[in-house]
Amino acid sequence: MKKIYSIGGGKGGSGKSFIAASLGALFAREGSRVVLVDLDLGASNLHTFLNLKNPPRGLDEFIDKKIAHLEDVALATSVQNLYLISSARCSLEVANLFYAQKKKLISAIENLPFDYVLLDLGPGTHFNTLDFFLTASEGVFVATPEPTAIENTFRFIKSIYLRKLKQSLKEADIWYLCRDEIVAMSRNGLTSPIDFINILVKKDIEQGKIFEDLLNGLKLRLVMNKVRGQIRENLGRQIVEVCNRHLYPGFDLLETINYDSRVYDAILSKQIFIGKYPYTKTAVALQKAARKLKQEQPIAIGLES
Amino acid sequence: MVKRFKDLNYYQLLQVSLNTSPFEIRQAYKNMLNIYEESSLATYSFFSSDERTEILAKVEEAFLTLIDSKKRIAYDEKLVNIGEVSRSMLKDHEHKKATPIYQINKEKTGSNYLQKIRRKIQEKGVKELSNLIIKDDVISGEDLKNLREALGVEVEEIFQATKISPTVLQAIEGNDVANLPPSIYLKSFLKSYAEVLQLDTKRIIQGYLTNIEEDHG
Repeated sequence: MKKIYSIGGGKGGSGKSFIAASLGALFAREGSRVVLVDLDLGASNLHTFLNLKNPPRGLDEFIDKKIAHLEDVALATSVQNLYLISSARCSLEVANLFYAQKKKLISAIENLPFDYVLLDLGPGTHFNTLDFFLTASEGVFVATPEPTAIENTFRFIKSIYLRKLKQSLKEADIWYLCRDEIVAMSRNGLTSPIDFINILVKKDIEQGKIFEDLLNGLKLRLVMNKVRGQIRENLGRQIVEVCNRHLYPGFDLLETINYDSRVYDAILSKQIFIGKYPYTKTAVALQKAARKLKQEQPIAIGLES
Repeated sequence: MVKRFKDLNYYQLLQVSLNTSPFEIRQAYKNMLNIYEESSLATYSFFSSDERTEILAKVEEAFLTLIDSKKRIAYDEKLVNIGEVSRSMLKDHEHKKATPIYQINKEKTGSNYLQKIRRKIQEKGVKELSNLIIKDDVISGEDLKNLREALGVEVEEIFQATKISPTVLQAIEGNDVANLPPSIYLKSFLKSYAEVLQLDTKRIIQGYLTNIEEDHG
């Protein structure tokens, strides 16, 4: 059964592409057919992690309607069974994808004929990024233990919830029921979707239940990356706990990954870290993360599900 | 329905169970402060300062209530009255007295079981069977097992009385040479076993060792 994972998180440089490339390589190693999709539109560099200097083909052909099937531009990488759909060749204005183009791209991603599809997202909370994130059956947030990164991660998480709520309300055609509340919430920074559900339950018990189940179904995993020094190991656990208590209880700590300067070496030499340094603490943590991610039953959170 | 944070009771708030000890409550309180204090890396950007003040006040209130045994009893009573917990779930909050480390007159935990086994031996009177076993030069695990079962004694009871682990006891009774402990331990285990069943320890050890030697070739 095909699984789509999205790898996101508000902050740039937190290691989203690194985690995506590593997880992809680990899945592929075990014989699954894996495709990485670089959706950091406008600032893509996943190809560099995989040592594809100038990707000969890419997402641009699909966006420009030169090809009909997205899988046609999947490039083989140095790792067997691991493919990449690059956005390096897209126009400099690709970050501002039109709505229709985005819709088409999302449905193409959902139909990619691979065992695992990993979506590497860009930073920020642009609607496109959020929608790509919600395409997946499971979402992975990458954060680093700095106040800045954690701040952006919370913002990203809250944006994901708000986006999901809005989209689903529109789909269910009950937007009118709680328009004012939604507007107020996005202005004040969504403190808790539980508040919103409570409002909805008051107005319409049945719909409230449906939306509660929907948010319960959101499966979100946190990766604490580049952990070192004084930072306690349990920071990730604390964040997950707070999210579960004050947002919705679908959070789980996927893994805490140690900072390792050899990651930098690997990127400089354009080799995949887990291939070059397979016995480091960091590589072992990545393996654990991959195993844990695979074992879970998929729960659809996708927009078109 | 998922409970809102502000609807949590004090136990849920501190993430402790209903009958938890004051020591654990203190630990839980510290953990909560770690998470919710303004300096906490995990939440500094998560809450507005109003929200944080509110949460911290509630954590404080929960802690001060549960750590005070009188207030805690009153609070538990309240929880029972509003139907949040049933009375049967509450244990006595009577503080456990500290157990001295060097308690000389400490009763051995096994002694109850020992007495129980002794009583069974008196009641059943299996003198004939035990004499029969002792008379033989070779004493196998089955012999011991038969005797134990004739007395109606469980492996668990032997374990409680002697503290020999059930797996070892099973290995002894099953003549399972591969899983037997080294002979010096085995001898002492056999001695304890024999003592519990009031058998001649020397003959049991000798007989059993002959038995496994024969078995082993």
